[in-house]
Amino acid sequence: MASITLRKLHKTFDGTPIIRGVDIDIRDGEFVALVGPSGCGKSTLLRLIAGLETPDQGEISLGRHRIDDVAPRDRDVAMVFQNYALYPHMTVADNLGFGLKLRGTPRADIDRRVREAADILGLGELLQRHPRALSGGQRQRVAMGRAIVRQPQAFLFDEPLSNLDAKLRVQMRTEIRALHQRLATTTVYVTHDQVEAMTMADRIVVLKDGKVEQQGAPLELYDRPRNAFVAGFIGSPAMNLIPGRLQRDERGGGSHVLTDDGLRLPAPLLAGNAATHGTRVLYGTRPEHFSLDAARGSSAEVIVVEPTGSETHVALRLAGQQVIAAFRERVSLRPGDRVPLWPQAAQAHLFDAAGGHRLG
Amino acid sequence: MAFDDFTLDAHGLPAASTADTGTPRRRARPWLVRHAREIAVLLLLLLLLSPFLWLVQLAFRPAADIFEDRLLFVPTLEGFASLLQGNFLKSFGNSLLVSTLSTGLSLLIGVPAAYALTRWDFKGRRHVALWILVTRMAPPIAFTIPFFLAWQYLGLQDTVIGLAIVYLTFNLAIVIWLMQTFFEAVPASLEEAAWIDGCGVWQGFWRIALPLTAPGLAATAVLCFIFSWNDFFYALILTRTNAITAPVAIVNFLQYEGWEWTKIAASGTLVMLPVVGFTVLVRKYLVRGLTAGGLKD
Repeated sequence: MASITLRKLHKTFDGTPIIRGVDIDIRDGEFVALVGPSGCGKSTLLRLIAGLETPDQGEISLGRHRIDDVAPRDRDVAMVFQNYALYPHMTVADNLGFGLKLRGTPRADIDRRVREAADILGLGELLQRHPRALSGGQRQRVAMGRAIVRQPQAFLFDEPLSNLDAKLRVQMRTEIRALHQRLATTTVYVTHDQVEAMTMADRIVVLKDGKVEQQGAPLELYDRPRNAFVAGFIGSPAMNLIPGRLQRDERGGGSHVLTDDGLRLPAPLLAGNAATHGTRVLYGTRPEHFSLDAARGSSAEVIVVEPTGSETHVALRLAGQQVIAAFRERVSLRPGDRVPLWPQAAQAHLFDAAGGHRLG
Repeated sequence: MAFDDFTLDAHGLPAASTADTGTPRRRARPWLVRHAREIAVLLLLLLLLSPFLWLVQLAFRPAADIFEDRLLFVPTLEGFASLLQGNFLKSFGNSLLVSTLSTGLSLLIGVPAAYALTRWDFKGRRHVALWILVTRMAPPIAFTIPFFLAWQYLGLQDTVIGLAIVYLTFNLAIVIWLMQTFFEAVPASLEEAAWIDGCGVWQGFWRIALPLTAPGLAATAVLCFIFSWNDFFYALILTRTNAITAPVAIVNFLQYEGWEWTKIAASGTLVMLPVVGFTVLVRKYLVRGLTAGGLKD
């Protein structure tokens, strides 16, 4: 096992920059998720670590060794592909043992390690089958087995669960996490699903347009997103971002945001130099930080009600804009109803409307 | 008689049951109408196979009544036996050697070339792929004089290897173009997985890409073999005595003294055999898809 260090990485495809100066330090044994929208470069980053692509600039190190000039087969990393990439003409046992066989491991050792991996993943019965005779979940397990059999320095996962149905995905999520706790191998996990990233990773790296937007522990990103993009990307349903102007109160150092429709929203405490009076801002509040407050709330019109069972998501029109509110308690609302909606000031976030960066 | 009764009963039963379920009863159609499709298939097949069947029956006819109209005759192996005396067997051997050699060489050179053209994205790839086809763009006769003169100069005229090289130049285009499409059908991620597992580029090709294109490889090999085996034109021009192939040998049975129909038919039948056998042998590879199951479908 080893740490992975990426330094000032750049990669361009046909003149289009895909990775634009990425620095990431992954500690030994850490589980890091790379998330971002399609085309943000997260898969390219993983392929750079695997050696399937060569960086135009920058350094990649595994442990103390620089590996950006090393062939994939000599990097000692294992990768689980989105489409599993099992060898169709080999049995499950041969798929699992292929990497060991190529490295000249004695037959008896291969058999033992294949059996161990099969036991961990519950594949014991399937060893003599071919991939075409397996279900999606079983193929997924074989793909993971192929990675763990080799006991590599690091695991690389490229959206491994995106082809599974919802129920199996949740189950495999837990299994991968449990596997990591058991083997403690450094893991880089690429996903576009921020829920997967939140639930599995020790640390999340949010990418956009080939750059790191923010990296940190899942709850750190959730509680203190560094900019409006991360705020909107992490969390489901997404954070509401309402444009307006910052109004500094004359007395007491408090402030509020005046929306374009003239609505006053209570702002969190800001340091005196964070932003000046009249700055255009995005007022961010998470769906669960709305409450129904008859005394202070502003009237909002219910558009759609989505009960999920554990909570209720309600789409409403507030200040000329659609917002989502999530209520833990059961609410009986119907489209067209008007409710007094009130955001909690202490939980609100302010972002600069022009640059998107966090204020305060 | 008992058998006839049974079949009548069996035909009667479905009619009764359809009446029970309330669907409108259909009158049993005449036998000819019910089996019209099968009869049409049979007739068409007979029509298509008629040259083949005519040739084969001619091969077994006694030389004396070769042009008799009667369908019934006492089959004889005289035609085949007479082939043993002349040079035909040597020509047949030449054909086998030339075809095997040119097929083997074409695959040996063409398959890795096709792989490189599929997986290696170098500048001008499209042009290279297109210009490989150029030998197939003109009728074979266009290349006759260059080949004739060059082979004379190189001492390759009337040699087995010389003829094999000529066929190689034509077969390469087939191999490279067919195999490119087969390699394209193999997902690149399988080879990437193999590289990470510890394969080099060559091992990835040998252990992953090649086994997965085996059906395509078999089909390509058959086509190359048939092209070399059936060629008459170049064999006629570039051979004299030593390297004569079977198709040329057959034509040599048309002589001044007369046309030896039995020999022509018998040798023609023999020439068809390897191709039929080869095709039957690899038939299962021609239809089976090996890549099923490796990826999420």
